[in-house]
Formats: sequence, C-alpha cells, structure tokens
Amino acid sequence: MKKLLAGAAIALTAMTGSSFADGHANYPERPIMMMVSYGAGGATDFQARIVTMTAGNEDALGMPIAILNKPGAGGRVGWNWLAGQAEADGYTLGAYNIPHFIAQSIKGGVDYSRDSFEPIANWGADPAVLVVGADSEFNSMEDVVAFAKENPGKLTTSGAGLFVGHHIAALQMEKACECKMAYIPTKGGGAAAMKAVIAGDVMAGINNLSDAFRAREAGNVKILGVADLERNDFLPDVPTMMEAGLDVDNSSVNFRGVMVPKGTPKGIIDKLAATVPTMFENSRVTGKMKAGGSPMHIMTRDEVLAMWEQREQTLKELLAGL
Amino acid sequence: MEFLYYFGDVFTPINFGLLLLGTIGGLILGATPGLSPTMAVALLIPFTFQLQAAQGLILLGAAYTSTVAGGAVSAILLKIPGAPANIATTLDGHTMAQKGEGAKALQLSFLASAIGGVFGVLLLIFLTPVLAQWALAFGPSHLFWLAILGVTVIGSLDSKSVVKGLLSGCIGLWLATIGFDDIMGAQRFIFHPALGGGINIIAALIGLFAIPQVITMFAKGRKGDGAEVLTVQKHPISSAFRELFRNKRALSIGTAIGSIIGLIPGVGGQIAGLVAYDQSKKFSPEREKFGTGHPEGVIAAESANNAMVGPSLVPLLTLSIPGSPTAAVLLGGLLIHGIFPGTDLFDNHPDVAWTFINSMLIGQVLMCIFGLYVAGLAAKVAQVPQSVMAAVVLGLAVFGSYSVQSSMGDVYVMASLGVMMYFLERFGFSAAPLVLGLILGPIAEANFIQGSMIANATDGLGPYFLGGTLNIFLISVVIASILYSAYMELRKRRYTSKEEILG
Amino acid sequence: MTTLPRFQHMIGSGIVAAVGVWVTYISYTATPSEAFLFPRLIATVFVVLALWTFAKACLGWTKVGNGITPTQVKNLAPGLIVALVYIFWAAKALGFYTATAIAFFILLSLYDPAPHGQLKSWLKRLAITAVFMAVMYGLFAKLLTVYTPREIFF
Repeated sequence: MKKLLAGAAIALTAMTGSSFADGHANYPERPIMMMVSYGAGGATDFQARIVTMTAGNEDALGMPIAILNKPGAGGRVGWNWLAGQAEADGYTLGAYNIPHFIAQSIKGGVDYSRDSFEPIANWGADPAVLVVGADSEFNSMEDVVAFAKENPGKLTTSGAGLFVGHHIAALQMEKACECKMAYIPTKGGGAAAMKAVIAGDVMAGINNLSDAFRAREAGNVKILGVADLERNDFLPDVPTMMEAGLDVDNSSVNFRGVMVPKGTPKGIIDKLAATVPTMFENSRVTGKMKAGGSPMHIMTRDEVLAMWEQREQTLKELLAGL
Repeated sequence: MEFLYYFGDVFTPINFGLLLLGTIGGLILGATPGLSPTMAVALLIPFTFQLQAAQGLILLGAAYTSTVAGGAVSAILLKIPGAPANIATTLDGHTMAQKGEGAKALQLSFLASAIGGVFGVLLLIFLTPVLAQWALAFGPSHLFWLAILGVTVIGSLDSKSVVKGLLSGCIGLWLATIGFDDIMGAQRFIFHPALGGGINIIAALIGLFAIPQVITMFAKGRKGDGAEVLTVQKHPISSAFRELFRNKRALSIGTAIGSIIGLIPGVGGQIAGLVAYDQSKKFSPEREKFGTGHPEGVIAAESANNAMVGPSLVPLLTLSIPGSPTAAVLLGGLLIHGIFPGTDLFDNHPDVAWTFINSMLIGQVLMCIFGLYVAGLAAKVAQVPQSVMAAVVLGLAVFGSYSVQSSMGDVYVMASLGVMMYFLERFGFSAAPLVLGLILGPIAEANFIQGSMIANATDGLGPYFLGGTLNIFLISVVIASILYSAYMELRKRRYTSKEEILG
Repeated sequence: MTTLPRFQHMIGSGIVAAVGVWVTYISYTATPSEAFLFPRLIATVFVVLALWTFAKACLGWTKVGNGITPTQVKNLAPGLIVALVYIFWAAKALGFYTATAIAFFILLSLYDPAPHGQLKSWLKRLAITAVFMAVMYGLFAKLLTVYTPREIFF
C-alpha cells in the first residue's frame, strides 16, 4: 500500500513537472532553497553554506541559495521530506550524503531510495577515520585490531549513528579483521561521537576526517587510520586501513553534494548540472573550504550517477548479512 | 590577565558598532516568539562571511547573549517563552505582568541576566582549563541521572495537583518519542506525515504557551470599552536594584546552577532555568509565593539562563567540541576564517579569542542598559486591548513556528498541541511540566540506550550506571529531591485537611 | 460543586486515559521492540496515572481545574473556528500574508468591543491590520528572509 502510494505520488509529481517542462531559460527567477538534513553548524551544513555562498554571482545562478536545516535520525527526517513533501519545481534542492541515504534506504523504514532523487553535482569527499583519545594505549591500527581480536565485542567505538558512513566503516572493519567491535551510535552527530572519544566514554571512535583533523590540531586525539584508497592531503602521516592490513575500501567515504527530488523539470536539472560544478570551483569557495579543513572533491552529474549506482551495489552486498 | 590587554579592540568604531547592532538586534529577535538563540545566530552566519574573524564573532556572541535575555520579554509580557531557556521565567514573570508589575519583572529579569551573564563570562575567562575537565566528566550515565533529576522536578512544577503534574510530564515524555528514534532510526507513533520529523521543541513551546493564551482571550468575549484595562505601574530602576539585592539567595542559586549546568555538553541551557527555579523554590522560606508573581522566581530563572552562556562555550573554545546547537553555529563562524578552536585559537589568534570573549562581557552590560531603558515602554504591551492582542499573538505563533524550519507541519503541530493544551488547562493540567517532559525525554532515552550499549560491552549495567562518585552523587540528589517533594506534599495535605475540619 | 464540572472532568480525563491506553497498546505491540523500550516505560506510568485521574473524576474527587462554562464556549467558538480555518487551510492555500491579513481582520472585528455600526471603528481596525502586516512582512520576509508558501494574489 505504501509503495503504491509512493508510486502514485511520484507519477503525480512527474505529471505536474512535465506540464510546464519548457521555458526554463529564465530559471532561476527567485531565490532557491537547499535542504540540509543535519543541524546548523554540523559538517554538512557548514560545507553546504560555503559552497553555495557564491550562488548569487552573475556567472553562477544569479540567485542566492538559502540553507534550510531539517535534522533528525541520521538524516532520515530531511530526506523523507525532500522525497515526499518538497516541491519538485527546481527551487528546492537538497544536500546528499553518500553512503548514508543509500544505506538507510537499503535497510528500509524510509520513504526514499536512490531513484527518489536526481543528483546535480558533488562537492566534497570526507573519509571516515579511526580516532582514539590522546592518552590512549593504542598507537596504531594494529594495536586496535589486536585488542578487538583478543576481546571480541569489548572495543567500544563511537560513531554518528546507524547506517551512516561511520557505521559502514565499522562494519567493513569488523568484516576485514574477522573480529567483533561494540559500535555505539550517538545522538547529536559527529560532534557527540567525538566528545565520547575525548572524554574517554568509549575506547575508540570513527569520525569525519575534517572533524578529526581539527580535534588532533587541538591536541585531543590520535588519528590511527583512514578508510580510503589513498592517504589524505590533510593527513599525509596517517596510513590508510589498507596499508595497515585491513581490507577496507572507500565505501564509507562521505560524499557530499547537491540533488533535487525526482520530477524536477529536465531543463532545470540540465541547467543546474552545468552551472553548479563551476560554482564549486570558485576560488573563494575552495579557499574557505581548505581553511576550514574540509576536503573537496568536485564531480559532475554523470560521475555522481555512476558513483551512486556503484555504491548501492557494494552497500547491498555489505548489508546483506545484517 | 591576558584578556585585559585586548580590551581596547572591543572599542574600535566598527567592533563596537557591531556589538551594539548584535545586542539590540538580538534583543528584538529574542523577544519574537519562535526565534531561538540558535536560529538567530544561524541567520547571522551569512553576514559573518563578509566580516573579519573577530568582527564576525563579536556579532554572533552579542546576538547569542542578548537573544537569551530577549526571550524573557515575550515570556513575561505574553507568556510565550522565546526559547526553552525561558520557560521558568513565564511562571512568575507573566503573573507579575498580569498584576501590573510588568516593568518591574522586566527590570529584574534584565538585571539578573546581566549579573548571571557577567559571572558566566568571568568563569570562561579565568577557569577555562578546569571547567573543560568538568565538562568532559559527564558521560552517558551521568547525563541520564541528570535527566532523571529533571523529571523529579516535574511533579512539583506549576501545578496544584501532583498527580496531574506528573501526568502532564508523562504526556510530554510520550510526545517526545514521536518521530524517528534517533539511534535505531525506527519510526514511532507517526500517525500523520507532519510528525515525520518528530515534534519540534520550539513549535511545541509556541503552541503550548501561546495558543491557550489566545483562546482564553477569545473566551472572554467582546468586552465593553475599558472594562479590563490593566494599569502598568511605573517602577524606578533604583528600586529594582534594591529588590534584586534583597533576593541574594535566588540570584546566587540561579547563577551557580546556570554556570554548572551550562557547562555540560548536550543538556546545557534548556534545563538550567527550570532547575534553578525549582531549587530556589525549595530553599526559599516563601516557597508558597512561587508561581503567584514572586520576584525570586524571575531572578532565579533569568540569572541561570544567562549564566549558562559563558560556560556553554568552554567545550567549544578549548576542546573544539560544540556543546550546544548554538555553539555549533559559532564553530562554523570560526572555521570559515580558518581558525580552529583549541590551542590554535588561543596561541595563534589570541586577538580573536579575547576580543570575542571581552565583547560578550561588554555585551552583557549593554544588553542590560538597553533592556532597562525599554522595560517601562515594553511593559505597556499589557495595555493593548485583548482583541488586538489575541490576533497579534496568533499571527506571531503561525509565522514563528513556520520559520523554525520552513515547515507547514510544524504549524499544524503547534496548533494541535495548543488547542489540546487549552482544554487540558481547564482541567488542571499545566504546560510547564509537559514541556519539561518533552525536553528531558530524548536526553534520558538517548543516554540510557547509549550508556547501556557501552555497559554491555564493558563492565555491565549495574556498575556502569550506579558506580563512580559522580553517579552516586547525582543519585543521592535525585533521592533527596523526591523525598523533599513528598515531605512538602504531606505537610501541605495535613494543613489543608486541618483547615477543612476547622472550616 | 455543581454537576457540570464533574461531568466535564470525566470527559476530559477520559480522553487522556483513552490516549494513554492506546499509547500503551502500541508501545507493547509495535516492532522493532528494542526501539520501543523507552516508550513502554513511559506508557506504563502514563496509563496508570491517567486511569487514576479518570477514576478520581468519576468519583467527583477532582480538586483542581474549573472546566468550561457555556458562556465561555459561546465566546470562544467563533474565534477558534476562524483560527483553525486560518491555520489548517488558509495559510497554505491562500499564502501566509493574504491569509494572516484576512484572519487578523476577522478576529479583530469579532472581538473588538467598539461598535460595529460606525465607519470609524472599521477604519481603525483596517489600520491596525495594515500596521501589523507591515511589521510581519518587514520582520519575516525582509529581515529574516523566511520563504513562506506562495501567495495566490501576488
């Protein structure tokens, strides 16, 4: 019944969408809204505000983009809203986080899937890293793995929630080392998970590279491994998990970008897909992103489409056993 | 004493101008129902992109301090708390305004805010390293017990009947579970799409407090001219000072509790005012007067919620952990200029750090001066005819709840809760315990689940939740609080039954 | 004590008790059960307190709460109906500013004690509405740039 309703809703939005499909030459005619499914001040929100700050320039969209926060339940609240209640008129954009929303849709209990949205462009890629407190006895990935193997289910590891990038990284680690960790999802996102590590509430944590980098600069944590294919420019001294002998690829890397709900007129999607990546390349944007410790990774619509599809494949395999 | 060295920077024309702008703008925004400090600060973020780091932070810091204080204005005059921090202020503040003492209530609230606020910022200046350790000491088990301590307050808060107070609290706790469960991601009690995101606390606050007010005004019907025009007594500022210092106990309890609770990441400002209100009530010899327009109530609540501002920034500035949504937005304001809180901030950008902190100190004083100046004028709101007032409050409630996250669903939730609350109030239930339940529910639940997950992986539930000095201390405070309430209730009953026999 | 409040209290606390029973039922039957651990705890206390209150109301032991008098109902009904139509239908259908202006003016006319026969009082009410709308527009649309649903007239 739910599926039927959802199908009908998609058909309806598609119909209303196509009825005024032509004549988008003047788009955008009024300010645009972009929904961020995390709270104001979080990493996604912060980066979304920076990458959209030049939207009003004449060489970009010519109209400002306002950020609208709809936080809750690891992003589910916001994406449910974008898929079900937002108007697909091109004036409502959304920020996506991969693998979060795809993993959540595979796990079920939400009203969206990969097909509910149309990507526009990708702006950032923030790998998950393993952090421990500054005074922790662990000094390398090997120490952590050895402990987890000797004490199955005893290594308390904090992360931002269930079925977000951090959780995917934890699952991959468990699979790779054939050991059992105790993954502790926190309410309040990456900041709360980081606090748990610094305060010693948990033994280790998986967190965003950007936040971990800042915490290390403040002298509060040690970063032991990066869950990515290559070492990161911000942390050239930290090995990847692969180097440490764990078969963990880049599936958990948190890709952030812009999307629109399905049913948005094709003309508008094309126009956005052409303009938005160049907007991200603006030197003011890249400068601010670098200063804030946020790694950028610009991808066009076609690249993102391929990336989404490939991510869905790997996540389905990874989550099949759960 | 490093901070003294940078005091001059606050008084450059641009910086001071921004400080004034942030303070006055913050007061106005704070006084608008539905605009919480977090929102006000988030709205200002785009402006800080254009400013230098120190200037941007001055604007944000000033807006933060003065929106917290500004929330008291609508709490006192309209009985609509601007933010969760101001709930306790409505209890005595609005009753004072109804008695024609609106000007006095506003003056006391601004003075108490400033004293609490200055104390809080001084703590931030002098004791930051010590406080940072204290902020970290609170793990999931301690936060759980702290939330339970809040729950014990529910029964005795603003309700003539303990059972109905507790029942109101239960309704609030249940309402808080609606929506997605934050940790598991399961859907709970979502029987209308508007509830998908759960019940937004700001929208709920507006609905629960403002709508019953509006309906009560409707219920009075068309009144003849001048039938019920309130007089607003003039109240000289000097006597407000005297009144404040007569109530040193409430002032110091409020300031102390606000500073301590404000420090704890994740709980902070929302409950500081209520806990301080409850504690001053318990320690006061005139506890029967609380809730009937007693100045002590306003002083305790307002000194607590501004005292929390300074300490609430400690985890952010030293450990780079934003302890509250507002702190998270301030973090963005620092990062945008490439400044990392922590050692980087204090070692490499001391000018930014200290100018920011100093400006909050000056901001507290400016906020107080400006607030006192307009208090007499603002109190005249009580003289606006009921018909106009009802329509204005309704309009503000709709716009305020919508603008929280541009969501029609929040407006529907606001209205439904509000209408429900009006009828519940007619039957002896009250809004304050309900809201307290709504705030405490998620804190208690998330920390219990998280704590039990950690406990199961380590030393087991019993030792984790009951062991350790801090746990034992908090548990004994909880037990003391329950015993005290029970004792007071029994004593009251004995007196009333005697009176009944005599009568 | 008249019988009217007692009967009202029975209805009022009866509805609360019914909600309590419903919440308890859902909490104990819904899945996944781990996610409903906390709601169960709350619901159990909720339903016990609600049934207790209901029993007290039935026995006429309720001490607090004054209930609603027929005069109050007569007074509040028109305003409440206008408010509900405004919030649940007009705000979205007509746009925020249009709907607010209309609802504001109707409410003012309903509850303003000034006589309805005079032109002057109507002009005064119109003026108040205009000032209020100007303030709202300045604050929310200009200063805070809140994106409200589109208006039908402009």
